[in-house]
Amino acid sequence: MNCDSDREAELHPGVAAAGPLRFQITLTSDSRLLSVVRGAISEFAAISGFDDRQCRRITLAIDEALSNVIRHSYQNRCDRQIELICQVRSNCLEFAFLDCGEPADPARFCAQPLDETGRGGRGTHIIRQVMDEVRYDRVPEGNRLRLKKYLPGAEALRAANESRRGEIG
Amino acid sequence: MKTATRERPGTTIVDVAGDIDMGTSPELRRTLLNSLKAAPRLVVNLRDVRYVDSSGIASLVEVLKEARNTQKRLVLFGLNRAVHEVLQLTRLTKIFEIRETEEDALQA
Repeated sequence: MNCDSDREAELHPGVAAAGPLRFQITLTSDSRLLSVVRGAISEFAAISGFDDRQCRRITLAIDEALSNVIRHSYQNRCDRQIELICQVRSNCLEFAFLDCGEPADPARFCAQPLDETGRGGRGTHIIRQVMDEVRYDRVPEGNRLRLKKYLPGAEALRAANESRRGEIG
Repeated sequence: MKTATRERPGTTIVDVAGDIDMGTSPELRRTLLNSLKAAPRLVVNLRDVRYVDSSGIASLVEVLKEARNTQKRLVLFGLNRAVHEVLQLTRLTKIFEIRETEEDALQA
């Protein structure tokens, strides 16, 4: 068992005991597939230990991210490719999206205030509210978006460890 | 997603069922905007909506704005937990007129 697995066992015994959880979906940029992905993500979050409410929120955030790829990167073309890698890390669920579309403009993320009654822009707010870490990179292959959601208990354990380190230091 | 329309005196009721996402929200938007033309009050039954994303919420916001612009009313009812949560995440619970039941919505 490597160090990552040890940490997984500490944080999330059920997951670590069964081995690392990871799956990858390659889909075309067709909105009819969104419901298929939602089903998979909801189950993935559930077996990773999240409660029903968090599963719904995680599923929503992933759906919003995929919708943004279809809408903005691929400008609603339905025949392009999106890769989504989902895995349990030592303290979080990590979702990585890769597409080959138009570069995203990070300045437009959450550019619109949430209380406005405009038509768009709420998806990125939802993603930022639900996820603990959001990172966008333009890479040679295209656009890469990484979303992390801390596993239940991971945040508290990390805070406790940081506090302990502070006391030792 | 499926929709069905019922008429009551002074009110059009649209029953919505299924998932509202970026693929289905344009149809919902069209249906609701057309239904809004038919009566001074539009009541939307969301009881059988399993899922809604930000594009679905945006469609409801657009219909609400059109209702306000034309001095009509939009009333939502039957919101389940999933729909409520998305409205809360987008901080839009207060802009909509929301009722628990169809009877409440029709008396609103």
